[in-house]
Amino acid sequence: MTTISTTEPAPVAKPLVGRPDVNRKRLARLGWVFSSPALIIVAAVTIFPIVYSVVMSFSNVYVSGSGISLNGFTTSNYHLVFTNSTWHYALGFTVVYTFITVIVELVLGTCIALVLERLTRGRGWMMALLLLPWSMITVINAELWLYIYNATYGASEYIIHAIGLPIPAGGFLGTNIPAIGSLMVADIWKTTPFVAIIVLAGLVMLPGDLYEAAEVDGSSGWSTFWRITLPLLRPTIALAMLFRVLQAFGLFDLPYVMTGGGPGTATTSLAILGYDALFKNLSFGPGTAVATTTALLVLIGCLLSLRVFRVQVGKEGM
Amino acid sequence: MRNRKRTGWHRIINGVNISALLVVIFIGAPLYWLIISSFKTPVAMGDYPPQFFPNPLSTANYDQAFVQYDFGIYFRNSLIVTLVATALVLIVGTLAGYALGRLPMRGKFTLMVTLLVISVFPEIAVIAPLYTLEKDLGWLNSYEALIIPYTAFNLPFAIWILRNYMLGIPKEMEETGRIDGAGPLRTVWSIVLPMALPGVFTAGIFCFTACWTEFLMALTFESVNNYRTIPVGIAEFGSVYSVPYGTIFAGSVVAVIPIGILVFIFRKFVISGLTSGAVKG
Repeated sequence: MTTISTTEPAPVAKPLVGRPDVNRKRLARLGWVFSSPALIIVAAVTIFPIVYSVVMSFSNVYVSGSGISLNGFTTSNYHLVFTNSTWHYALGFTVVYTFITVIVELVLGTCIALVLERLTRGRGWMMALLLLPWSMITVINAELWLYIYNATYGASEYIIHAIGLPIPAGGFLGTNIPAIGSLMVADIWKTTPFVAIIVLAGLVMLPGDLYEAAEVDGSSGWSTFWRITLPLLRPTIALAMLFRVLQAFGLFDLPYVMTGGGPGTATTSLAILGYDALFKNLSFGPGTAVATTTALLVLIGCLLSLRVFRVQVGKEGM
Repeated sequence: MRNRKRTGWHRIINGVNISALLVVIFIGAPLYWLIISSFKTPVAMGDYPPQFFPNPLSTANYDQAFVQYDFGIYFRNSLIVTLVATALVLIVGTLAGYALGRLPMRGKFTLMVTLLVISVFPEIAVIAPLYTLEKDLGWLNSYEALIIPYTAFNLPFAIWILRNYMLGIPKEMEETGRIDGAGPLRTVWSIVLPMALPGVFTAGIFCFTACWTEFLMALTFESVNNYRTIPVGIAEFGSVYSVPYGTIFAGSVVAVIPIGILVFIFRKFVISGLTSGAVKG
């Protein structure tokens, strides 16, 4: 790097600037050559399947031993899905689950970030600890919590008992509401640190002089937090929320391993429902209809949350 | 208020430190439980009340996971798929990030927004067509069955990150290369790449983590043990054997440690990757 920066090419660069048109065209062509491998892979593996999935969801799909065939346009798949009570439940469950877990994670994560920001020593180690749940395989997280929730030898049983709180009849995963709550706890444990890291990074970047001014004005800790810290953190929290809403709405790994969508259909998320329709019942038409509506809802959710937080997707540099 | 000087015992026992301790317990307790349980004897796994400080410690679970069962194979598969996909993402993504960040292409903005939209699509939306496509190609139960989709799904984020780093490189740098007669690939390799290295690390660690932890596609595309990755191996193991936790935890600890070390070493880049969105928009 140092060897390069010593050769300042200002005068030599002139000839190139002299014929910008030719140069520009050549560079643009180079740009397409360089980016085409990436664009081809992305198009082949994501855009093509997305389109094909939508087409499939509007077709009469026949599954046979040799593969699947599409026979003619129909809206019956969507009709089937929209009138299905399990889909209604899965939609409601996914929305409520996303809403509750994301709110709890944002509040808890912000609290953790505020604590860590004031920590004078050992912040690096805390960050390392926070990153561990983030980098953990969700399936492992699910198995770990299954062990904790186990009805005969689980640690949670023992701890709740020792504190003197009642244990839900049927155990932690046996009945609807406790199963949903237990799933949420496992999820919140894994993803709150992620929120905390983002918020902490945002906190560190806040301008310090504002706080000095607030202190001079005699502002209390609370009102400083509500009037200065939180408004300034809004874009950061919005970003964390967006990431989390996107992930939570695709909820699959955790219920697949922990509850299999049960008891009954209590923890059947949209992704679980779609997966079951596709690969357990082999009904590709309704399955892709579930998948397509889920993707559409995610997109709408994304746009809405960006709208609510009035975040602009930066256009600079383009 | 913010940096009030504390004296005496207040320096150690204060609200901040107690809260920090609570955070450590909240995050650390389940991790402790995972690690310590993997060293219990298989019989002690089912003790009630549970052994919070296991005695004796045993490595029997590790023997079972890696000698008796197939966790070694799952590891090999996860490593192959993750490493190849990450390498592909970085090579192809660096070229694309350079092109989209530095070269005067038309429709760059549209391309970048398209990539952003693709990266928010849930996996379930593409799993059915990908499955039929891979079935037709005869790719099910192979490494490429995962390597190619993983590459594609991690490229959009990698391109965004790399492009953002490329934007910050001074123009004169590239022109130096061009005048020295270096070809475009050479310019990227020896001038642009070294300066965008933090971006490469960030994109790399995110891609690695995503591939290492991915479940839905691995579950759908790999149905034989010989190609299963760690998440699928563990999930299927749990549903086949009764009380498999000891074996599962032994395998899990070994799966958590390499990525934990990697993330710890590259934590600066992880954090910059998580927050770059906040800075850029």
